[in-house]
Amino acid sequence: MVLGEYMLLNRLARRVPVALLLATAAAGTANAATQGSLGTTSTGSVVINASVAGRVQISGLRDVTFADVDAGVAQSDAQDVCVWSNTNGRKYNIKASGSGSGGAFTLASGALDPVNYTVEWNALAGKATGTGLVNGTGLAGQASVATAPTCASGPTKSASLIVKMDTTNLQNMQAGATYSGTLTLVVAPE
Amino acid sequence: MGSVVAQFLTPMRDRQRRGGSRLPRLFLALLAAACVPTQARAQERFANIGNLVDYNFGQIINLSADQSIARDVCVYSAKTTPGYNVRATGSGAGGAFTLGGGGGTLGYEVQWAAQAGRATGTILRPNVALTGLLTSATQQNCINGPPASASLIVMLRATSLQAALSGTYSGTLTLIVGVE
Repeated sequence: MVLGEYMLLNRLARRVPVALLLATAAAGTANAATQGSLGTTSTGSVVINASVAGRVQISGLRDVTFADVDAGVAQSDAQDVCVWSNTNGRKYNIKASGSGSGGAFTLASGALDPVNYTVEWNALAGKATGTGLVNGTGLAGQASVATAPTCASGPTKSASLIVKMDTTNLQNMQAGATYSGTLTLVVAPE
Repeated sequence: MGSVVAQFLTPMRDRQRRGGSRLPRLFLALLAAACVPTQARAQERFANIGNLVDYNFGQIINLSADQSIARDVCVYSAKTTPGYNVRATGSGAGGAFTLGGGGGTLGYEVQWAAQAGRATGTILRPNVALTGLLTSATQQNCINGPPASASLIVMLRATSLQAALSGTYSGTLTLIVGVE
């Protein structure tokens, strides 16, 4: 072997282990499994890795109906719902938007003027009042007690959704007309 | 085995040429005859498990579906039958099949099939041997003959995924095989 060939091989021999190390690092986690050996018993092992993404779910919602109400008495409808979060502390935020212009919390009835309603949220079930929600603005720092996505096990409900109409808006409604709208709630993990 | 007999006989021939007694030759022949079946019986108790690879599920975003990884492994049994049993223990408390991390634990299920290329198998219980299995492996590392002889399936059930907090989980699953 001539000196030039020897030097080339020597350089390669030094670089191959480095290249292998870099390739291993680029490929991600190295295999940590251990292989058994021939014996009366043989023992091997594997490492199992998994990552669970942060997820939330809202369920248990029902429609809200104010029928034949007295326009002189403010109306309120509170319902228990299920919000589940799998994050540490089961944290979530919630954002609501109505079907009015720009997501406004309004009810419509054809050509009649829309009327407003308000929405409140409480991170505990069984509550008649809560924090007022602003259209399109998230209410952060909420925590759930739900341990199953639809509250099929554990607590059956975990939050309260309250919809209210004050007397001013009730008195702006035309008698006999039906007003309706859709309230959309979006929860996200925190 | 053949190389062992040759090692015994070669020195004897040397000794005969030097005029040694025939008694050691007879003794060694008897010893060899007695040892060979014993070695064979001892080897029949030998088993091996290999070709094991880690199970990396990555980030699981669909918590409503079971997640499963099945891998082929090599299990060899030197017994003529060739039977074996397999026992598994997890790194959870008491050998439970649980992964740690994420602020809690994540349970998983282990299944075993005595054929390669299977996506499902018999559910293993922690520290409880699954018996009466047969292997097709003809070499301890599956270098010759079938390249794999069994399937090890690790499954993350949707119920477990939904019960766990978000985060990263890890654990070790140990498998012990013995001949039958």
